[in-house]
Amino acid sequence: METTVNINDITENDLNWKIDYDADRCTRCGRCIATCTFAALEMNVERHAFTVSEDKTPEPKRLFSTLPVVSQVATLKDHCVGCGMCEKVCPNTAIRPVRNHETREPLLNHPGGSPIKRGGRTNVSVERTLDKIKVGRISQMTDPSLDAQRHTFDVLSPLGRVLSPTEIPIKIENNELNISGKMPPVHWIYPIIFGDMSIGALSTRAWEAVAIATAVLNEKYNMPIRMASGEGGMPVKLMKSKYLKYMILQVASGHFGWNRIIKAMPEMIEDPAGILIKIGQGAKPGDGGLLMAAKVAKHIQEIRGVPKSDLLSPPNHQGLYSIEESVQKMFLSFNAAFKFKVPVAIKVAASSSSVSVYNNLLRDPYHIVGGFFMDGIQGGTGAAMEISLDHTGHPIVSKTRDAYLAAVKQGMQGRIPLWAGGGMGMTGSLAADAFKMICLGANGVFAGKIIIQLLGCIGNDQGRCNQCNTGLCPTGITTQDYRLVKRLDIDKAAETLVNYMLSVDTEFRKLMAPIGNSSLPVGRSDALVSVDKDMADKLQIPYVC
Amino acid sequence: MVTTINSLDKHNRLSTQALLQLIYEAMEKGETDFNIDACGQHDIGGPLWHPEGKPLTFKVTNPGQRVGSMCMENTTIIVEGSAPADVGWLNAGGTIIVKGDGGDTTAHCAAAGNIYIGGRVGTRSGSLMKYDPKYEPPQFWTLKNAGSFCFEFMGGGIAVVCGFDSEAFESVLGDRACVGMVGGVVYVRGPIKGVSTKDVRIHSLEDQDLAFLKKELPVFLKNIDRSPLLKELSVWDEWQKIVPLSYEESHGYKMANLKTFRTKEWVEGGIFSDVFPDNGDHIGLVNTGDFRLRAPVWENQKFCAPCEYDCPASIPTQRRYNLLREGKTEQALELVYLFSPFPRSVCGQVCPNPCMDKCTRIYVDEAIDISGLGAVSTPPPPPPPITKKEHVAVIGAGVGGLTAAWQLRHLGYHVTVFDKDTQIGGKLTNAVSRQRLTQDAIDKDLEPFKHMDITYKLGKPVTEKLYQQIKKDFAAVVLATGAYTPKLPPWPGKERLITSLDFLAKVNKGTALSIGKTVVVIGAGNTGMDVVFGAYASGTQHVTVIDVQKPNAFQKEIDHAQGLGATFKWPCFTKEITDKGVLLDSGELLEADTVIVAIGEVPLLDYIDDAHETTRGYVNVDANYRLANNVYAIGDMTKLGLLVDAIGHGRKVADIIDAKLQHTTLAPTIEKLIERDRLVPQYFDSLHKDEILGACHDVDRCISCGTCRDCRLCKESCPEKAISRIQKEDNTIEYVSDYHKCIGCSICSGVCPCGIWTMVTAPALFPDGKI
Repeated sequence: METTVNINDITENDLNWKIDYDADRCTRCGRCIATCTFAALEMNVERHAFTVSEDKTPEPKRLFSTLPVVSQVATLKDHCVGCGMCEKVCPNTAIRPVRNHETREPLLNHPGGSPIKRGGRTNVSVERTLDKIKVGRISQMTDPSLDAQRHTFDVLSPLGRVLSPTEIPIKIENNELNISGKMPPVHWIYPIIFGDMSIGALSTRAWEAVAIATAVLNEKYNMPIRMASGEGGMPVKLMKSKYLKYMILQVASGHFGWNRIIKAMPEMIEDPAGILIKIGQGAKPGDGGLLMAAKVAKHIQEIRGVPKSDLLSPPNHQGLYSIEESVQKMFLSFNAAFKFKVPVAIKVAASSSSVSVYNNLLRDPYHIVGGFFMDGIQGGTGAAMEISLDHTGHPIVSKTRDAYLAAVKQGMQGRIPLWAGGGMGMTGSLAADAFKMICLGANGVFAGKIIIQLLGCIGNDQGRCNQCNTGLCPTGITTQDYRLVKRLDIDKAAETLVNYMLSVDTEFRKLMAPIGNSSLPVGRSDALVSVDKDMADKLQIPYVC
Repeated sequence: MVTTINSLDKHNRLSTQALLQLIYEAMEKGETDFNIDACGQHDIGGPLWHPEGKPLTFKVTNPGQRVGSMCMENTTIIVEGSAPADVGWLNAGGTIIVKGDGGDTTAHCAAAGNIYIGGRVGTRSGSLMKYDPKYEPPQFWTLKNAGSFCFEFMGGGIAVVCGFDSEAFESVLGDRACVGMVGGVVYVRGPIKGVSTKDVRIHSLEDQDLAFLKKELPVFLKNIDRSPLLKELSVWDEWQKIVPLSYEESHGYKMANLKTFRTKEWVEGGIFSDVFPDNGDHIGLVNTGDFRLRAPVWENQKFCAPCEYDCPASIPTQRRYNLLREGKTEQALELVYLFSPFPRSVCGQVCPNPCMDKCTRIYVDEAIDISGLGAVSTPPPPPPPITKKEHVAVIGAGVGGLTAAWQLRHLGYHVTVFDKDTQIGGKLTNAVSRQRLTQDAIDKDLEPFKHMDITYKLGKPVTEKLYQQIKKDFAAVVLATGAYTPKLPPWPGKERLITSLDFLAKVNKGTALSIGKTVVVIGAGNTGMDVVFGAYASGTQHVTVIDVQKPNAFQKEIDHAQGLGATFKWPCFTKEITDKGVLLDSGELLEADTVIVAIGEVPLLDYIDDAHETTRGYVNVDANYRLANNVYAIGDMTKLGLLVDAIGHGRKVADIIDAKLQHTTLAPTIEKLIERDRLVPQYFDSLHKDEILGACHDVDRCISCGTCRDCRLCKESCPEKAISRIQKEDNTIEYVSDYHKCIGCSICSGVCPCGIWTMVTAPALFPDGKI
């Protein structure tokens, strides 16, 4: 008599992933079980019992044997997430996770009434506008054709408040044209920013790998890439180094890490590349940041100045109640903190009201708004409720276009650089996405999830892994557990990112050359066509089919 | 004859087409030499050939673009003065001499023949030159310098830029020369800048280069009428050559070395080294030691088997079978006597054996026969000598008191047992029906008590006065006087009732009883069933058992009672006992010659002078059975229970008293039940009922839940050979997993039939300690 199975018991077929296991190929080396950070595998013993007859007449003979087999832990707590580490370590390709379309896990996995939390991007809004837009204007025979390989290209975007020609304080002295007054700081940087993944959300190694890649791209390849810190503070040693100039410091509603940033100011030998005031993010608009306690290790507690607990940043900066106030207080304070030498930008979750906000900022008379970052619904995160990831947010493409055209209408385009993010590179090409966004009016884009995917993250937008919130990241990227962090080859991770960005740079030129632009085609929507009529109409670009 | 063509007649210029048609016509007539005074006409000089292969010569002035394009072998073109773009475009073998400058894209795509330019050439000259190995490589000579982007995508051939009269230029190759160059060689004299070093390498000349230049430079100079320059241009250390990188070199991995950058140029020690020291080494996905995600722990005898857990006396049957499996029969027997002195009578006969209810073997076939194991017990070995000075009194010689006495005696104490009865055994002797319990089993279990230096003071009830004396005389006192006072509700006629204990005591003593033909038993518990058995044994013909609720006797006993003919009625509420029988609240009269009440008893506590509290008549004790200073109470005095409950109390109170008297702490007991899913009963094949041969053979059926059966499965299954079996000095064994070898795969815990190995999730690791 075996143990009774009841209808409400959880079995493998109730889970998102099933383990496809071949006992004949398995050597029982145990590596798959040993490597699984989610404890989703176990060794079981199968009983094989049957009666055979091998004689010419019925001569029953009972055969009984047992076999150790790897099996899936069929619980909602230790469920397989499809990360595939088992498959990676198996010497005989005897095991792999397989997506289970019959899953009931989304309905059932609510222990104690809690909603599903995870990291990654939306798993629902995967249809992308950018994939229906093509670079449709090819100028080989009409305009002077550029050669991607030989021509010089100016792949640079502004970060900082750009003055109109009439506002620039210039005067002629001794027959020379000189700047006669203060100008807001503007940095011309690469149009792709490594975006906003905090120390804490990322492991120390993953964060440092991105920082190293940033430095190498700047120092060795002359690509002025900038990295935004995320809201988890900054390593003191980095702040005291020359590499600080490649870093954009973020302040979010939790204000984590600013104690050490402020204290480090006297020892900074370089100014940071910028300050980013984070109001919201596209993955979970309306929420503040969230770092689950599992990841709030000792060093994170130190850098952030908080004890081990779930770290929830408030949805709002506690001291701000309006756009006007945010300009006055936050922008002024952070401009002042760095003596008006560092551009200060703001990042918001794209929303129905984003254009109004942008319009208001454009009217800022003090010229202290150095950038407007909008993050769309397809942005990724380290931890959010799935309901937010999948069902809240605003697509970024038309919103960027709307904001740009609103500025054009006032003749103010380019004054406050527009940076767009949220799913950039989601279908594989960061260069194409960035280029299209720029043609639609963005000055540049920022990307996060694809960056960690380049480091080695195996999560995707079809529900694979995305357990960034658990601290159990099998690749050592979104965890603070040294055992897992050490899995990440920091040099290889940085190298992959550098390689990718070098190829992005080449690809960028491959897109700029045919449309005949040697500088970024900001707002050159005539270069684009859409294979979707409604999209074409909305974005004011030609419809083609 | 030389054909002379003047392309301009006053103001009439021949079109390119008309000029070329004149040439074709002349060639039809066999003409081979042309003097052409051109006026910008294109494509003069090729592709043309004489049917007999005679050489063709064109002396041209003022040509248009593409002079000598697609020019063929045996064609020589001499341009006096300069020529515009595309001189020698796609040259396929001709000799083209331009004594002045060439324009842009001179020698573009030339693949054979020689092009000699006596001046400068423009942008993209030499681009896409090729070399067809079936022919001599093309040569492209320029006396002065070349424009930017020259030699782009050059695939073969020899280009020479002599750098004469080019001092005004920073680079004699302009900017970005040789982009995409994959073949051929460019010899160059003079300064160069902006050469595409991702494609080419700049070298000094080697012997074969010198040989080539020394041989061909005079030819070039002669062709352009500048032979006097030979000496000036023959200063060979002013020359360099540009050759393409090999395919492997240009496509090889040329990444900046990230590790070198990190360790040499990056922030020293890493940016987190102040808060998270990290040497940067990385590990694989499977690790040992501290880097395991989980680690195995050998938890032998840390958890109760279900039998042990459900036995009120905590008898670890799985350990008995382990000893039997090892052939240690005596130790197995000693083990049971450590827990109960009544294996035959209680385990073997009267106990309902809750130990067997949840036996793991049920998942395979049926429970281990623990009752049978008790029944076949042999007499215990003699007790050890008395070693302790303290005297302990036990009042009451029932199973609880006797167990306490037994255990205390085994612990080395002087023990004195008091009882009002003249014999020991309590309810075992005088209350349990002989149909449930044989005299033989009682005798065998009680016999050892007579030979173990226990002092018995029997036949005399303990009065308050005696009790006071006992408390003074003994270091500790165990009260185990049971519950003998029947509970009797205030029913009218209750004096007509016979109490179950009186009745059963007489039955068990063999006293003749006259109870008539019909009997009503009030109370359908196990005592009620004993009464039923006793009544039938005394000659009654019919017994009716009533209760206010569903009978709660064991089903086995109820079945036996029904088998004897008893009928059960419930719910029945007694109103009165009359001389005719039992009158119920409902008005029904159950006729009876005798009515026996078996609804339980409460203890007699009148001798206890200590302050005490009771609950429903039973004395309250603390968790250590303590009633007063040195007085402990156990068994039915505290709550009605099974005989085995009293046995459990007796053992525990003995240990508690020992710890108290010796000022030691009580050894911890195993209290947790092993989790079902730690066990692997799959290893055991299910047996047919015929094959289950009883307690003595169950040694192979017992799964040994929670106690290592030393099967070696873990050791044999461990893929890393990390598990060792250690035989210890006390003859016990232990399995140990090697920290340095184990990868935490959990195979040991997965295959252990007994659930001994378990995987502990190792805590997250941080470089400066664990959090």
